[in-house]
Amino acid sequence: MISYITRDIVHKRDHRCNSAITVSPTMDLRCATVLPHPIQAALTPVGMASSEEVLLVVKRVRQKKQDGTLYLMAERVAWGPEGKDRFSVSHPYSDIRCQKISPDGKAKVQLQLVLHTGDSTTFHFASEGAQRDRDAAKDLLQQLLPRFKRRANKELEEKNRMLQEDPVLFQLYKDLVVSQVISAEEFWANRLSLNAADHAPSNSKQEVGISAAFLADVRPQTDGCNGLRYNLTSDLIESIFRTYPAVKQKYAENVPHNLTEKDFWTRFFQSHYFHRDRISTGSQDLFSECAKQDERGLKSLVVQGVKNPLVDLQSMEDKTLDEGYGVSSGPSTSQGSRSVKESSNAAIIKRFNHHSAMVLAAGLRRHDVLNDQASETSSTDGNSRDSDFFQPPVKKVKLQEAIDYEDLQRDNGKKTVALKLKKSDRYSHGPIPVQSQQYATSQDIINSLNCIRHEMAAYKPSLTQVLSSSTASTAIAALSPGGVLMQGGTQQAINQLVPGELQAELKHLYTAAGELLRHFWTCFPVNTPFLEDKVVKMRSNLERFQGTKLRPFQDKVHRQYFSTNLTAHLEEMLQTAYNKFHGWQTRRMMRKT
Amino acid sequence: MKLNIDGLLVHFPYDYIYPEQYSYMLELKRTLDAKGHGVLEMPSGTGKTISLLSLIVAYQRAYPLEVTKLIYCSRTVPEIEKVVEELRKLLEFIVKETGEQSSFLALALSSRKNLCVHPEVSSLRFGKEVDGKCHSLTASYIRAQRHTNPSMSSCRFYEEFDAVGRQVPLPAGVYNLDDLKAFGRRKGWCPYYLARYSILHANIVVYSYHYLLDPKIADLVSKELAKKSVVVFDEAHNIDNVCIDSMSVNITRRTLDRTQANVETLQNTIQKIKETDAARLKEEYRRLVEGLKEANVARETDVYLSNPVLPDEILQEAVPGSIRTAEHFVGFLKRFLEYLKARLRVQHMVQESPPQFLKDVFDKVCIDRKPLRFCAERLRSLLRTLEIADIADFSAVTLISHFATLVSTYSKGFTIIIEPFEDRTPTIANPVLHFSCMDSSIAIKPVFERFQSVIITSGTLSPLDIYPRILDFRPVTVASFTMTLARTCLCPLIVGRGNDQVAISSKFETREDFAVIRNYGNLLLELSGVVPDGIVAFFTSYQYMENIVASWYEQGILENVQRNKLIFIETQDAAETSMALEKYQEACENGRGAILLSVARGKVSEGIDFVHHFGRAVIMFGVPYVYTQSRILKARLEYLRDQFQIRENDFLTFDAMRHAAQCVGRVIRGKTDYGLMVFADKRYARADKRGKLPRWIQEHLSDSSLNLTIDEALQLARHFLRDMAQPFRREDQLGLSLLTLDQLQSEEMLKRIAQIAHQV
Repeated sequence: MISYITRDIVHKRDHRCNSAITVSPTMDLRCATVLPHPIQAALTPVGMASSEEVLLVVKRVRQKKQDGTLYLMAERVAWGPEGKDRFSVSHPYSDIRCQKISPDGKAKVQLQLVLHTGDSTTFHFASEGAQRDRDAAKDLLQQLLPRFKRRANKELEEKNRMLQEDPVLFQLYKDLVVSQVISAEEFWANRLSLNAADHAPSNSKQEVGISAAFLADVRPQTDGCNGLRYNLTSDLIESIFRTYPAVKQKYAENVPHNLTEKDFWTRFFQSHYFHRDRISTGSQDLFSECAKQDERGLKSLVVQGVKNPLVDLQSMEDKTLDEGYGVSSGPSTSQGSRSVKESSNAAIIKRFNHHSAMVLAAGLRRHDVLNDQASETSSTDGNSRDSDFFQPPVKKVKLQEAIDYEDLQRDNGKKTVALKLKKSDRYSHGPIPVQSQQYATSQDIINSLNCIRHEMAAYKPSLTQVLSSSTASTAIAALSPGGVLMQGGTQQAINQLVPGELQAELKHLYTAAGELLRHFWTCFPVNTPFLEDKVVKMRSNLERFQGTKLRPFQDKVHRQYFSTNLTAHLEEMLQTAYNKFHGWQTRRMMRKT
Repeated sequence: MKLNIDGLLVHFPYDYIYPEQYSYMLELKRTLDAKGHGVLEMPSGTGKTISLLSLIVAYQRAYPLEVTKLIYCSRTVPEIEKVVEELRKLLEFIVKETGEQSSFLALALSSRKNLCVHPEVSSLRFGKEVDGKCHSLTASYIRAQRHTNPSMSSCRFYEEFDAVGRQVPLPAGVYNLDDLKAFGRRKGWCPYYLARYSILHANIVVYSYHYLLDPKIADLVSKELAKKSVVVFDEAHNIDNVCIDSMSVNITRRTLDRTQANVETLQNTIQKIKETDAARLKEEYRRLVEGLKEANVARETDVYLSNPVLPDEILQEAVPGSIRTAEHFVGFLKRFLEYLKARLRVQHMVQESPPQFLKDVFDKVCIDRKPLRFCAERLRSLLRTLEIADIADFSAVTLISHFATLVSTYSKGFTIIIEPFEDRTPTIANPVLHFSCMDSSIAIKPVFERFQSVIITSGTLSPLDIYPRILDFRPVTVASFTMTLARTCLCPLIVGRGNDQVAISSKFETREDFAVIRNYGNLLLELSGVVPDGIVAFFTSYQYMENIVASWYEQGILENVQRNKLIFIETQDAAETSMALEKYQEACENGRGAILLSVARGKVSEGIDFVHHFGRAVIMFGVPYVYTQSRILKARLEYLRDQFQIRENDFLTFDAMRHAAQCVGRVIRGKTDYGLMVFADKRYARADKRGKLPRWIQEHLSDSSLNLTIDEALQLARHFLRDMAQPFRREDQLGLSLLTLDQLQSEEMLKRIAQIAHQV
């Protein structure tokens, strides 16, 4: 299973690596972004492809002892030898596993790209500022690679998952790709996009949340001379920003014009905001404002109150004792008498509540937007102005939940899903608008009913034209199973005549042929050069299929002396496709001449 | 399902029944038959409420003359609403089964804050403000004034109710708080007064304890309820504290200052009225001479709080001459106030009994006992005569007058403690006079005497015999029911040692011990990695929790816990805690999992259920003893020892264990639910502690799980949780812990059911 996938990738890579793509001398390099077939891609005129942005050009880079220029583009890294307008090395970023650099101070300044396959390509920077050039390339790659790595993995995972989930697809994959009828890329070309649409909503829903302990992972290390070192990763920074929007805002305000990034984070870790148990001392702290903002946010949350009335502790008590009544048990903690330690403890507790709420909110933020929209639309028809009208449903539901004993109740059927209709009129009328004159009025129906009734009443069988009983019985006998007329009825015979294994094979052939034909027919109408290529290719694929798969099968059937032609229909389908292709080609030739 | 409970046809609105529900109904029926009181303990989440309601409603239907009313008292507003919803379900079921229209009227009653529909008044946030504002719109003299001056604002809902609302009784049905509000809005009637009026003829009334136990309120609301009622106190494990709270008063220096201001206002108002309308004061004087009770004059809207003493203690004679005129009474109040001020200027703690206090008052400022007893009554009369709209402002002087009346009425069961400062902050002067009730039987006594059956029930009432003693009544039934289980869905564990074999305990000597705190932290950390979804942890007090959280933070334990779950912590602020709770539930709901750190005896432990995934484990860090250094508590313990022969330690342990049981009981609701109960203290293993846990928890506490280390506990927890995660179907339960009607009727099953009730 896995081996197929890796092979798939290998295929892809091999083609790409060998392909030499022409480039125009302008800076805006153009080449085909979608490479349905590398050889074709090489032939494609430059002007017809979409553009690819060049991010960095480094001259005097040697590869395999040959001088050339290194290009870092939006989706791949490429190298072309001096004086030629073709790339002899081209790696999409998604193929690169990692980059390695030679240690500082070495004579040779090198950058090595290690591919997923294990191959590697080494570039030698030979210009005067080799070190600088190399670092520039390295930094850019460092930013670009993670982005593509994720995508590549995701794609691979997705393909893997699809193959595992769908045995038919897997069989098809074996039939078409492994036996090299079509390439893996072609196979996936419209599968993935098809599925991307299916899975898009579910993917977006399952956004990864933030670990609650992300700050715990920032362990300071002593650097030996009275200092602390924090290691920050981009994930961590993102977590901080997502959880504490206030910090993000500060970052946007101050970096890079007021502070360097490093200074910013240094101050962050020094700030009392990070160490919440320390009581704020100086107001010149950059983050004291953040703390205040958080405080405000927390307060507004508290003021908003809770939606679920069952957890609202404030309205819990029905009749509170008036001030001064009742036994005050234990020491009361009046605000004035709190020691410094106690208030710092209280600050920690507040901080934990706030932190957890923020982490939770960060995970739900996108969700909330959707919910807000939903609630907005629902509030337009309900009278939401009066909070009293709006509240009971939640309360009712919660109360019902609270008093419900599921095991005491008999199962009242399956839990049904309520029908959600966006446009109920379309549901009840169907998609086709009905013309009013097509309706039969009730009067029409009554009339026709009367008419039929009338005819039935007047019906007289003309007994003279009836068959004699003996002919009738022979006719019935002939039509019964085993009768004369029923012989040669292939309908029910075929599954008895043909052995199961042959049937399975036939089935696979059908699905494979269906898949190929689907590819073929989706090319029509042929209105782009890309489709032109594809349709030509698909025809050759079909021919190849006929040659490598269908013929052997026919021979096999023949060998086993089956009288019936099992593949007639398949051939017919292929023939139709050929005819279509032929017609298209002749028309094109005519147009050209 | 229709049941035959000892010859009574009971409609039960479910298709299946738990055996213990059947047993519970049997016992309840016997109690009602005997017209006596009962104490019934049944595990939380076994459908106690619906069993109660089904049986009593059936009883009312069968013997309408024997039991005319059910008064159902619960603790919190959500609790009250839940009961009403269950009742609705039951009555709907009965209508469906019998086919006849029900003539039952059932309704919930709550404070104005929850029932008011007046657009301005109901937008106020605090109950007290709502009450005060309502009073200023609806008091009888204000409405009388409006006849001469129509520009004064009024409450149209009350006016409408007053005009027509009383003629037509509320149609039969079930009215929850929201239903009452909706009904009030539709009719334009005040729901609060409608409800208060309707409880007189309703078949079922659901409201909070205070309406029956607090004499100040009970006198107003529940005075006229029929004697042939059945009273149910649900969630009654804390009932003694409610009784005590309703009779106790605390006076601080701030109270006295506000009283001073109140008295001055009174004096000025009297002066003003004397100049303009002397006849009014004369009229009051005449009335007081004649000893006319105000009942015939007073309207329901006039009174804010009634006399604080019990009805049978209120003197039925004329107000003594020394405080009859308004000026004399104000002078009297001033003197008493000065006396209290002098008493608060103490340097050391003073404790004395009411008679000692009265003697001292007489010696110092020559105030007799009798005028003091009339103080509350007299003040009410004065406030009404002066036609003061905003009675809420006079809460301080009302409090003082209540204190005066209480202290002069009861010579036993109360104590006066004057403390110059708080124990923890001896440098800050903050004198308080505690007038503390020590005998919980005082407040509840009239309830037992007046109503024919009083049922005290809860999930945690163990040890059962202590309640009849401290409440001083003689029940006919005392029973505890176990939970029949097809699978052991609760797993109590006592963790007594850390992995390093250090005993863990929250007892005073070791609670600050570093090793104990670390072991507690490790326990939480390890469990957070094992238990899915929600974990609730309870500490013994806020202070202890704050300290532990701080040291966990320093040790980095919390950071590690955060790797597994989000952390939410209860604070002293109710709004903040509510938000934390909601976030906690959200985190459990979306699969992230969370931990709630909370406090036993806190608001969360009393009112929030952590059902299903909201609480898969509960950890009780330490034994939640009450703060034993408090002098009030000491006085109460002494009193209990002298009066009821309950030893101090027994009571303290009982009190701690009922709170612990209450905390851990929050996670189990029903037999499909499951939860781990971790008691993290060595002391739980001792027989005197363990023996005081409810029977349904004790049963599952095997000897092998009494003194576990953290690792051993984890081992058991893992096993338990894996077991519980298996699908649990109805068939597994059926016949064991869940019965159909047929199964219930079999001879053998009835025999088994008879064993469920454990008579004490």
